[in-house]
Amino acid sequence: MVDWLIRLFFNNCPDSLKKPFKRRFGLLLLLLPLFIAGPVQSEQLPIESLLQRSYLDDYYSNVVYGYRIVTETEKYGARYTGNNLRCSNCHLNAGRKENGLPLNVAGMYPKWRSKNGRRNGIGLRIRECFVYSLNGIMPPEDAPEVMAVAAYISYLSHGETIGKAPAGRGVPTLPDTGYDPNPASGKAIYDQTCAACHGSNGQGIAHMPPLWGMNAYNEGAGMASVHRAAGFIWANMPLGQERTLSHQQALDVSAYINMQIRPGDPREYKLLKLFETVSWFFDR
Amino acid sequence: MALNLLADISPWLPSHSSDVNIRRELFAALIGAILVIPQGITFAYLAGLPPEYGIYTAIFVTLFASLFGTSSMLGGPNTAVAILIGIAVAPFAGRGSPLYIEYVLLLSFMVGLIQLTIWLLRGGRFFMYLSPAAITGITTGVGFILILSSLDGIFGLSSSDTHFFYHKLYFLFDDAENLVNPFSFTVGATTVVAGMIARHYIARYAILIAITVGYLCGLLLMSYYSQVEMELELLGHLPINPLPFSHPPMGTDYLITGLAMLPDALIIALIGLAQSMVIVKQLRNDTDQPIQPDKEVFAQGIANFMAPFFSSFAGSGSFNRTQVNQSMRAETPLTGIVSAGIVLVFILLLGPVLTYLPMPAISGTLMLVGIGMIKSDEIKRLFNWRGELAVFATTLFCIVFLGLQTGLVVALILSVLLFVISASSLELIVEREAVSVKIRVEGHLFYASIDQLSQILKKHRQENVILDLSVVTYLDLSATEAITRELAKRDIESTFFAVKLSSERLQNQFETRMADQPVQFIQYNHTY
Ligand code: HEC
Ligand code: HEC
Repeated sequence: MVDWLIRLFFNNCPDSLKKPFKRRFGLLLLLLPLFIAGPVQSEQLPIESLLQRSYLDDYYSNVVYGYRIVTETEKYGARYTGNNLRCSNCHLNAGRKENGLPLNVAGMYPKWRSKNGRRNGIGLRIRECFVYSLNGIMPPEDAPEVMAVAAYISYLSHGETIGKAPAGRGVPTLPDTGYDPNPASGKAIYDQTCAACHGSNGQGIAHMPPLWGMNAYNEGAGMASVHRAAGFIWANMPLGQERTLSHQQALDVSAYINMQIRPGDPREYKLLKLFETVSWFFDR
Repeated sequence: MALNLLADISPWLPSHSSDVNIRRELFAALIGAILVIPQGITFAYLAGLPPEYGIYTAIFVTLFASLFGTSSMLGGPNTAVAILIGIAVAPFAGRGSPLYIEYVLLLSFMVGLIQLTIWLLRGGRFFMYLSPAAITGITTGVGFILILSSLDGIFGLSSSDTHFFYHKLYFLFDDAENLVNPFSFTVGATTVVAGMIARHYIARYAILIAITVGYLCGLLLMSYYSQVEMELELLGHLPINPLPFSHPPMGTDYLITGLAMLPDALIIALIGLAQSMVIVKQLRNDTDQPIQPDKEVFAQGIANFMAPFFSSFAGSGSFNRTQVNQSMRAETPLTGIVSAGIVLVFILLLGPVLTYLPMPAISGTLMLVGIGMIKSDEIKRLFNWRGELAVFATTLFCIVFLGLQTGLVVALILSVLLFVISASSLELIVEREAVSVKIRVEGHLFYASIDQLSQILKKHRQENVILDLSVVTYLDLSATEAITRELAKRDIESTFFAVKLSSERLQNQFETRMADQPVQFIQYNHTY
């Protein structure tokens, strides 16, 4: 009741007035259940125990939402997703694996948007992965999904130094092998070591993500760069036997994968998506 | 009583309405379905939920409200209710997060329960007291809020820190070239202009035309620029499930949040019912539909009670959709029931195409709805009545500057005040006749209004008095007491005091209380 009255009268005051008030009373009331349940604020809780909770504050509920979007993109991020991938298919172990595109990178991005800063900040990277890696549509910068993943990323980044790259950021850069990537030998490697999981046509099988075809990442994605994909494959694939391929083998298979057919870059094929949709509409 | 309640629970059957014009009803249902889709999406946005929840609300809340209703009123997602849900739940969880959705379901469930309680207590009639001026104030205020919130989408602003409306306007003027997204603006403005033009020619389809034009405008832009370059916000995929079962979260964990949201639930329940009852009242005046207000209260309550079981949030009767429905001459709940089905079919068929619907086009329709809610002729009429104008202006001011919640509470209080004031004020007409003074009283004679009468009587203590109460229908004990007191002070020898009453019942009542008093009666049917 008290909380409601406070909100009734202070919701509409300018933020400067509102903040101290909310902090003093509103938060106290909100945190009451947490105090009963045990201390939370000082230490970051592991995500697994956050998932069990039914009362979370604004920040932690966004963290949990962000975690769900990353691990079950097809369900929680469906609005902007256009293929069968999840964020965690590439950002391995829900963004917590070194050299597997970890997401503990909040400190590498400016914390505040500059005034017309649509073009920087962690939000933009998130939105870009929706457009390219998930071959979807670009969410607005203030979409709840983007805010939630940003909250999750800053949760993961707890303890990292601002401005310093966290250990194992991105994927390893493979040294120059002196040979050009060879897709023909890549095909042989693929059929032998990868097809069992990713399907003989790269279409993926149950619980395994596709590598090419219309349900994979598009040509604008980070993974579409042969060298970056090679680093990812070398450090993480075949799943469970990582780093068994040689650098050259990783480059070859990466070149083979990225030669295959996949959705175009949305910056070039502007209405392609729409035509796909419409043709799907008439095919039914 | 029990029988009454049982009768309220039964769903509508075609046999309840004689000679239904099926074709007319079906066509009205089609139009209703087209109207509700953009509204559902935007109201879901106002409530802080993903768009599909608005669609579910448009399907299931409409369905249940009509199924148990008695009129052609269309229920479903509602502006004020959606905004209030957003305000209520926002402090407890991040917008759109799974926890947030659970809390919204819980809130809707509570709203349904409160409304059902009101139905059990037969409280529906009290909403008839809400003054029309307050309602005009509320609709105008909500229209204003709608227009402002549509600016976000039309200009492509980020909703970051533009909370207060003059903040927003200030930001817009101050920093237009950095903030305004020209592509969003093109689509949004095209939509609004198309809607305004269409309103002049075929008002009924204005929203439909506006949104189609906005969509085409978006397509045109998308064939020259990519969405990434434009940063044009699109609706996105709607993961629609024809049977989206869910349930309100239960358990002691949710008790604390539930309790904290109780005042909000109460306000939402009252506001939802108030809007529905005002619509019902209008329909009862304007048509001969067999409307039972209590049953409509039940219908609203059960619709909101069921909403959380179908991934929907609370709603209420909708002014704008009911109006259109009425203009199509739909007369039965059949319209609402069928329109719910049509929405489902539409969304399942059109879902993939809707994915590319630009959000500024939706915001544009929101602005059109907002503009439509500000009815200048209704406001002009208010200018002739000081009291009503004051209620209207205060309500509007509070909604705009202090927020919707505060405004609604103020509107309720003011309506009650206005009612009490008007009920307790007497019209006293003093006419001097040959040998006496005739005092004609209009209004209710009770403790709150008796003072005025006593003053007048005091003034004419020395004269013969005829007290004409022939249009007074209510008299309480304190009124008779006051008259007795006055009689005691009069000079009974040289003057007379006569009373004229409106009915035999009142006269009997009066005579027994006035026994032994020097008072004469003029027969109630006596003409002089
Ligand atoms: C197809 C694989 C793939 C998927 C799926 C994918 N990403 Fe990425 N993502 C990448 C690659 C590759 C990079 C590195 C790109 C670069 O450095 O230019 C990256 C980079 C990022 C970064 C910046 C990381 C850094 O080190 O700065 C963020 C944040 C991010 N992705 C978020 C997401 C989110 C959120 C999703 C799910 C909605 C997602 N990604 C899905 C491949 C993917
Ligand atoms: C044991 C099965 C398995 C094998 C073998 C395997 N992968 Fe994967 N791969 C996976 C799984 C599972 C994921 C998704 C990771 C996750 O969700 O945790 C994945 C993800 C990927 C991704 C990023 C996601 C995407 O769809 O774009 C690439 C690229 C990839 N694998 C390439 C390869 C290549 C190349 C090989 C052969 C050298 C290979 N994989 C072998 C199971 C396998």
